[in-house]
Formats: sequence, structure tokens, C-alpha cells
Amino acid sequence: MSQWYPKKGRVIFHVDMNSFYASVEMAFDPKLKGKPLAIAGNPEERKGIVVTSSYEARAKGVKTTMQLWQARKLCPELIVLRPNFDRYRTASKEMFQMLAEITPYVQPVSIDEGYIDVTGTEQHGSPIEIAQNLQQKISSELDLPCSIGIAPNKFLAKMASDMKKPMGITILRKRDISDKLWPLPIEEMYGVGEKTAEKLRAVDINTIRDLANGDAYQLKRILGINGERLQNRANGIDVRPVDPDAVHEFKSIGSSQTLAEDTTDETAIRKLMHQLADNVERRMKRKQAAGQSVQIMIRYHDHKTITRSKKLPHFIENKDDILHFSNELFQKHWNLEPIRLLGITVQDVDEKKNLAKQLDLFTYEKEAGKEKLYEAMDELSQKYGNNIFKQLHNDDKDEEKPRTSFQKDFLDDFKK
Amino acid sequence: MKFIVQRQQLISSVQDVMKAISSRTAIPILTGMKIEANANGIILTGSDSDITIESFIPAEEDGMINVEQIEEGSVVLQARYFPDIVRKLPDNTVEIESDENFNITIKSGKAQFNLNGQDANEYPHLPNLQAENSFDIQSDLLKDLIKQTGFAVSAMETRPILTGVNITIENETLHFTATDSHRLASRRVPLEGVTSDSSNIVVPGKSLNELNKILDDTGEKVEISVMNNQILFRTKYLHFLSRLLDGNYPETSRLIPDQSQTVLHVRTKELINTIDRASLLAKEERNNVVKLTTKDNQLLQITSNSPEVGQVAEEISVQSLEGENLKISFSSKYMLDALKVIENDEVIIKFTGAMRPFVIQPADDDAILQLILPVRTY
Repeated sequence: MSQWYPKKGRVIFHVDMNSFYASVEMAFDPKLKGKPLAIAGNPEERKGIVVTSSYEARAKGVKTTMQLWQARKLCPELIVLRPNFDRYRTASKEMFQMLAEITPYVQPVSIDEGYIDVTGTEQHGSPIEIAQNLQQKISSELDLPCSIGIAPNKFLAKMASDMKKPMGITILRKRDISDKLWPLPIEEMYGVGEKTAEKLRAVDINTIRDLANGDAYQLKRILGINGERLQNRANGIDVRPVDPDAVHEFKSIGSSQTLAEDTTDETAIRKLMHQLADNVERRMKRKQAAGQSVQIMIRYHDHKTITRSKKLPHFIENKDDILHFSNELFQKHWNLEPIRLLGITVQDVDEKKNLAKQLDLFTYEKEAGKEKLYEAMDELSQKYGNNIFKQLHNDDKDEEKPRTSFQKDFLDDFKK
Repeated sequence: MKFIVQRQQLISSVQDVMKAISSRTAIPILTGMKIEANANGIILTGSDSDITIESFIPAEEDGMINVEQIEEGSVVLQARYFPDIVRKLPDNTVEIESDENFNITIKSGKAQFNLNGQDANEYPHLPNLQAENSFDIQSDLLKDLIKQTGFAVSAMETRPILTGVNITIENETLHFTATDSHRLASRRVPLEGVTSDSSNIVVPGKSLNELNKILDDTGEKVEISVMNNQILFRTKYLHFLSRLLDGNYPETSRLIPDQSQTVLHVRTKELINTIDRASLLAKEERNNVVKLTTKDNQLLQITSNSPEVGQVAEEISVQSLEGENLKISFSSKYMLDALKVIENDEVIIKFTGAMRPFVIQPADDDAILQLILPVRTY
């Protein structure tokens, strides 16, 4: 089988679940199949936007991030569901486990997509067979559709998985680039957002081909280092490895939310700050992490957005501390104009096992009470190695709350 | 106003007064320096409304003439330019004159500066502290007290009261205490002949720090008086006034352990050097953690470990080691801060467990106490 694999170079899959949330709901309730379905954040409130929709809804013009009332106008028979993150998380975990059965080189990117490096897995068959079997398995066991891109690197694999949806398998080799990739308009390129596309179109770069053949100097001038990177990718060059640990690397943990209406009401603001600090604390606990900087984001009614941060002399992890420094920043930087959105992020975050906690004169008794326990743990760890202990949490029940955004925290769970 | 002053005298006075002047202040005139001349000499004043410093240059001192041709008066000049001007003037004497429009002329040798001044009447009046409740202390002792405690005040405004040094007088004992809640430093000295009752105040650490810079360690007398939320330190030619911090300082004496499980006698210098070396690999953002482990045969091991960098281990022999074995982690910075202000060849360190505060004291002097909270490694 090894004739299928390049002598040097790699074979990388990008696995992309098709309209994941909607598909999970359909697998859960088959009656929904074939109907226009949208998952939306908060159907009642202004922030109710379409998070994802089924292909039937998309056929009517419903798009992700569209406001709910707009979507209903386009598609009056639209079925709208609130997100059930628990279901998605479970499905995602099982999907990643299937990937992990093929190779340990699995890099989850988000709840519904990931890269795997299948180089050296000849025992499972040719790349195309592996992809077919995987797609089949996900479909038969989870009742979920996915598209798979097969390519020599991550960028091309990502572009390939996008080319045929749903249930597509697309191979994108370097020699296919000029036919399959280059004709695409520039904004379809992964890594080119609205702003970047605008800048590129301004210098008459309209397709990926234009970018690939563009003037490197000019690109660097308008896009900086990213210009060079994008041009390389357009030429099919991407040296990033599939990194199974990438998902563990977190530098910041944050939470942000739009207010029901633009406000200067301090009670509403205070309440939201509490909520955000709560969310951040919960997520820090989940990750067993602590952080050393606090950042707040304020978006005003006119979309003007500021972020302000403060570096602390010590690590914090509790809601009280997070809230204290967030409020301090907020008081200092709020210009008293109506606020649309607030965010709190704890930065310079590290896992607590890498950190030490400086005890406090006025509260050390709490820790000291557990002294014997720590001593025993220390002794046992020396005897039997690290990781024999795990702290238990019961904070998962909170996760049922409907939210529009999704956190990747759990993505490292599929290995356990 | 007019006078001619010895430049060296003026330079040192200006330097002292500048310690209180901030370019960022809510009251614009406080960015200036007030100069007042009278028959006795000249007085320079600077203030940021937290701290006020007055420096006096006597017209005559021990038969030496410092100031001459005095015409009484006062003016406020821009402090931003004055120190550099005075420092760079060419001659040994400086003539300063102001007219009724507050135009100031500074002459020295052939150099002449004309500066715009302000009316001294607009400068805030200083509270006139009557020394009812006062005591004296020698300046070198006061400097020691500040050095041995002031470093431990909190740099964070989370608990504002902890940014100050707690000064108490009780039973003829003067007691300085500072803590940022992670370490505590305290020193007491006997105070004789104090008639006043016990008192308990909190002075901003920043104020004491500035005072320490200005005071000579010649052992001259410093008179300290407290009134109306202010504290005044007065020497012959210097008035240093600071506001006090509002609020109750936490009761710390009961937090200091009175028992111990493990007691070490160790040579200060050796311990400083060993911990200093170990701290090379300890990272600041990780609390500068080093670990101390007791070994047999009167040995300690000091280790530090940064997963990305590497590790270090060093053994150090101690004069004596009594009690239980111990493994404890702490901030090398706090430890070095504490050891460095103990001017004694040998220290005693008393531990009461890996999660509890430990106490460092000079081997033969329990008037100085440094306490450090360990860090818990997760």
C-alpha cells in the first residue's frame, strides 16, 4: 500500500462535519431530516442569530450569523432550535475518537473540524480508502455527514474539504492547484477574511491565482508578514505540522456577551460583569488554570471597540479577583457612552500544575488545613508517579445554558 | 524678594524638596517650588499633597554665611527647570530675585535666567503642626527601621491600608510593621521618656521611602509628631510632612507563629548566596520559587526547577538543625529581601510546616522579625 504515500512529504486529512449542530439535531430526532432547520442563540432576544442551519434552510438563503427575523422572512417554515451543547460535545468527542483510532496525530481545531496526519498508516489502506471508511463510519455510527479533504499539507486539506459538501471526499495535490485552487475568488481562501479581501481587491488581486502570482513586496507592504504567508499558501506551501497538543496550548480564557440593549445602566453592567467573571472562573477551573493578566473589552453602541488590560503581580483564578480587576479597568476606561458588548479575558494563563501558589498571611489556614493531605499526596506521587490524583468537579451542570459561542475546552477530552 | 546663596547648599536643598514634587498633580501650582526668604534664611517647599517637604537654608551656620543680601519675600517657580539650572550654573554663588510681577531672575557668574513665576499666596498653606504628641529618634535608627520594614509594604491597591507601614507606640516601645500579606517585616525599638499614650498609625510606604532618601545617617535628632491625619518628621533644617492612611491596620501579631517544628541556625551570607544562585532559574512570573529540603548531617538542600530551562541543586551546611524534617517552597525574592536587611552574620529560621509562615530573625536579636508565607506547589 505504501505506493500511495509520497516518499517524502505527508498525507493530511481535514475532516469537516457538515452543518454540524443541525446534523446532530437531525440524528437526534430523525423527523427533522429533510426540513429547513436553524440553530439560533436566543430565539427571543435581539442577539438571536443563526449559528448554523441545515442544507434545506441554506437552499432558501438562510446564512450563518443572519438575524433570526431575516431568516424567517426568507424561509417561513424554518424550524428554530436552541443549541444543545451537550449533544454536540458528545458527538464531537465520538467523532474525534474515531479519528484517533487511525493515528495519534489528531489536531482538533474546533468542535466540528480537525486535521489528521495519516502518513505511515499503510495498514489502514490507501488514503482514499481510509477517508471513505472514516466517512462511512461517522455516517453509519453517528448518523452525521462530513467532508474530507486529502492533501499534502493542512492548508490544502482545508481548502479541499470545502470543495465538495456534504459528504465529499476531495483530493488536492500540488499539481492540481492551478486548476482547482487558483480559479477561486480570493475571499474563499482560508485565512482571507473580509478586511484582507478588501485590501487585496484594492490592488487588483481578485482570485487565488492573482495572489499566488502577486508581487511579494507589495503583499508584504499591505498585509505585513501575513502577506508572505498567504502567498505561500496560495502556492500550496504550508509547513505547519499536525500538532496533537495544539489544543492544549491556551494563553487566555475569556467570555464576552452582548447586552439585550445598548445601555449605560450601571446595574445591568454590573450584573453582566458578574456573569462574565463567573463564566471565566468556571472555564479556568475546568482547565485547572490560573492567569496573570486581566483584559476587558468594551464595545460601544457605535461599534467602536476598546480593549484594556492589566498585568498583575500574581496569578489569579477566582471570580472575586477576576471581577475586582475587571471592574477596576472598567471604571478607569469606560467613557460613559452606551455599551453594546462587554468581555472579560484572563491572559497569561497557565495550568496550575506548572505554577505555585503564594500563600497569604490572612488566609493560609485554609491551605494549611490540607497540609497532611498534600504530604500524603506528595509521598504517593513520588512512589507511583505523577498524575495519580485528579480533582473532581461538579460544575458541568452549568454548561446547559444556551450560548451562541462555543469553547474548545473539552476538545482535549477525547483522548481520555 | 532677593538673596544670594551658596550654590552647593541650594543644590542639596532643591534635590530634597524635588522628592515631593510631581509633574502630575491635580493642583497645578503644586508642580512649582515655593521659595521664601526672610532674615533667618530661605525656605524651599515642595508638595504633591500627599507629601510636603520643606528645606531650610540658614543665613548663617557655625559662623559660615550661606545666604546674604536678603530682601524678604516669596515666589513660586517652575520646578521642572529649576534643579537643572541650579546644577549647571557656573559660579559658586547664585543670586535669585523676583519682582512684583513674579518675574524671576537667576544670576550666577555671567549666566542669567529669566523665569516666569507665580504668586506664592496661591500656594496652599501648610498645616501648622503643634508638637504636642511627639517623640525624638536618631536619624540613623529611623533609617534602619524604614529599611528593615518598608520593602514589605504592598505594591497593590487591592487593600490600600497594606501600602503603608504600621507604626505603633506602646509600653515605651516603638514598633514598625509592614506586610503585603505574603511576607511581613517588623522591628521594634525601645523608646524612653515618651509620655504620650499608645498610638497606632499607618504611614504610606512611599512617604517613608522618600524620607529615607533625604535623611542623613549622621545620627541627628528627628522629632516625630502626629496630628490630624498627618505625620511630621522634623530635623534642624528639614520638615517632612506626610498624610496618614485611613483605616484600621490588621492585627498581625497573632498571625505570627509562636511555636516551631524545625529550627535552623545558618550563616546569613552563605544562605543569601545559595538562594541567589538557585533563583537564577526561578522565574519571576512563577513566584521565583525555590525549594528548601532538610537533609541529614546538618545539611540543607536548595533547589529550583523551571521545566523549560533546567534545574539547580546546592547543599549548604548549617550551624544547627533541630526538629522535624521539612520540605518547603518559597519565593526566593521574598527570602533575599528579608535576609538582606538583617545585618547579622547568623540567622535563626523557625518553620512550623510546609504550608505555614516561617520566621527569620538575627541569631541574637529578636527585635527584628521577618516572616514569609511559603508557596504551595500544586
